[in-house]
Amino acid sequence: MTSIGTGYDLANSIFSPDGRNFQVEYAMKAVENGGTSIGIRCKEGVVLAVEKVITSKLLKHGANKRIATVDRHLGVVYSGMVPDGRHFVERARDEARDWRDAFKTPISTADLAKRMGGYMQAYTLYQSVRPFGITAIVGGYDSELESPVDGEVGSGPSCGAGGKVAGKKHGGPFLYMIEPSGLYWGYYGAATGKGRQAAKAELEKLDLSGDENGLTLEQAVKEAARIIHVAHDDNKDKEFELEMSWISGHDGPTKGLHQEVPKALREEAERLAKKILEGEEDEEEEKDKMEE
Amino acid sequence: MPGFDFSNYNRNAALHARGVPLPKATSTGTTIVGCIFDGGVVIAADTRATSGPIVADKNCEKLHYIAPQIWCAGAGTAADTEFTTALISSQLELHSLSTGRKPRVVTCMTLLKQHLFRYQGHIGAYLVVAGVDPTGTHLFTVHAHGSTDKLPYVTMGSGSLAAMSVFETQWKTHLTRDDAVKLCSEAIQAGIFNDLGSGSNVDVAVITADKTTLMRGYVKPNERSAKLKSYAFEKGTTAVLNEKIIRKQDLGNYVSVHELSTTEEGDKMEVDT
Amino acid sequence: MEFGNSGSLSEDGIHLDMDRLKKGEVNLGTSIMAVTFKDGVILGADSRTTTGAYIANRVTDKLTQVHDTIWCCRSGSAADTQAVADIVQYQLGLFHMMNGKLPTTQTAAAIFQEVCYANKDRLSAGLIIAGWDERHGGQVYSIPLGGSLHKQSYAIGGSGSTYIYGYCDANWKEGMEEADAVNFVKESLKEAIRWDGSSGGVIRMVVLTAKGADRHLYLPDTDYKVRHQ
Repeated sequence: MTSIGTGYDLANSIFSPDGRNFQVEYAMKAVENGGTSIGIRCKEGVVLAVEKVITSKLLKHGANKRIATVDRHLGVVYSGMVPDGRHFVERARDEARDWRDAFKTPISTADLAKRMGGYMQAYTLYQSVRPFGITAIVGGYDSELESPVDGEVGSGPSCGAGGKVAGKKHGGPFLYMIEPSGLYWGYYGAATGKGRQAAKAELEKLDLSGDENGLTLEQAVKEAARIIHVAHDDNKDKEFELEMSWISGHDGPTKGLHQEVPKALREEAERLAKKILEGEEDEEEEKDKMEE
Repeated sequence: MPGFDFSNYNRNAALHARGVPLPKATSTGTTIVGCIFDGGVVIAADTRATSGPIVADKNCEKLHYIAPQIWCAGAGTAADTEFTTALISSQLELHSLSTGRKPRVVTCMTLLKQHLFRYQGHIGAYLVVAGVDPTGTHLFTVHAHGSTDKLPYVTMGSGSLAAMSVFETQWKTHLTRDDAVKLCSEAIQAGIFNDLGSGSNVDVAVITADKTTLMRGYVKPNERSAKLKSYAFEKGTTAVLNEKIIRKQDLGNYVSVHELSTTEEGDKMEVDT
Repeated sequence: MEFGNSGSLSEDGIHLDMDRLKKGEVNLGTSIMAVTFKDGVILGADSRTTTGAYIANRVTDKLTQVHDTIWCCRSGSAADTQAVADIVQYQLGLFHMMNGKLPTTQTAAAIFQEVCYANKDRLSAGLIIAGWDERHGGQVYSIPLGGSLHKQSYAIGGSGSTYIYGYCDANWKEGMEEADAVNFVKESLKEAIRWDGSSGGVIRMVVLTAKGADRHLYLPDTDYKVRHQ
């Protein structure tokens, strides 16, 4: 940040001579201060998790959700400035509804990411606005079934659709991460916020390829809980709550819907996460002892 | 009272309910045709314009210019065919200027159909659109409600049935230019002679890749010929019962004449010197 | 407003016009159908266009392409159905460009329905949408006058269809071979043309499969026996 005070950091839509938009870079700083968010895509679905930092003891436990549902099959989690995130979610819901109005069918995860990427990018172009202070993770499960048309009368014939091309997969789980610049990519695992480096290191160890041996959805929930705990630094950080959601295919536990992970499973995952972490700490202590 | 006044609408509806017919717009009974040949397209029309039972014009022009290589034959309400073709001609020229390309017949047809569809048939223009463009030779019909057809030979207007009978009996594939002109001319003449709404002369336009030839009065089968003898009444046909002569100087006995004096004080028109 | 010739007033003084078609409008008194079969879907139609008692076009093409392998059969007002098909063709082209993927038959059916329902008071259009895509195979949707949308294994429409409900019900089979399906469409339309005065001319078909769109033409000169195209 050697260029601070040169004037190139004062407004959007002005490049610095070396081709940077400082406002966008400052927005990313805002993200780096936020609670860690992660997304995991596995063969059976997508898991979203967030480290919800408790800013006041007066806040009700479990209230004020940070993961939002955008459409039946789509969830969003974000790190950074929460009001910006709420606006992002509102816009995402509008986009999802507009798509349904126009095409009478749910928006695909890729199309939502594309539209929201475009929306965030627009906030890097004009003097009058500032970029979003969030990085958002969009998870969704595009139906692998034959999609009906909203507003169709009846359920149609039980037969008749001949000539399908065999051996092609359609739909499935998808995960995208969108940055303040509007840049977005599809990911196997995504992490953002304060603990992203540690979280990414953990994500890279997982088998997220989606093939037979890959992580199951339930394993992914447990890994997500563990990674949020790993990314959290007990010594420096404030207390936090773990919030998690998941989306499976039509034959999975959520039947294609984006839902909060059930309380029992979440508590189980959190218990295991804590146990593993304590175990690691014990190991480290033991190592220390052995070195003595 | 502010707002619109619907009393005329209610009056019209009530009159209509009692069986009073609505006034009709002036419409041209017409025969127009078009036919594709190897290397171009021919369109033709009669030249009678009618206003109810009256022949309003014995030699009107029903072939309208759209672009150098695109022409239109029009039937229906005379004013509508005239203004619609002029409007689309203008739009097409501007489009051609902005794209730097020659106008296409499909573009013309699409502009016409979208314009006419927007007016839900209230613009009574029935058109035969023909032309040659870089994509080839094209012939379309456009109905007032906005529907279009693409065919190798077409007829429209009140004389279309008579004209179609000629095409349906004599048309064949791969016509030469002269055969196509002859066929179209005969189709129009079928309209002229068998349809009350059509008459007078045959106008023909031939469009090829090289040029357009407009043959106004290609056939004139209804020329007024010189009368074989004079039908003027002979002098003295009407009997004179009595005769009285009044001379000009005696006019005062029958009519009183007053001289009016012009006022000298009145402003005179000033003329620059 | 243009009045019909019924001249009747309803009680509230508002003019009633029971004639859906405006005076002098070009009508597709029609026989159209679309059927799914083993490898995709077939659309079929007669070729008669009428203005009153006059046949304005005896070789009409009522099978209209709105995308690569999505087509529709048009019945009702020629102007209205052409306008609707043009709008949908534009929307699907835009969809393809903006999203970089082919529109599905569902997408087409949804856009058709939106236009037909939103303008139901102004349109007389009975449409059958048929398309093939690699995910769903061949599909048939029917949009009758009110603008409702019905997914069907096969659909028939137009004035001529009333004569062949029984024939189609008795003879349609699931998963037919292409030749059998073509024959089914042809025989059905022959029957519709035979009994319906507003239907006639040639029989046109489009076969939509993984191989793309294939056009068929059958002429009455040969009793619709020989394929000409």
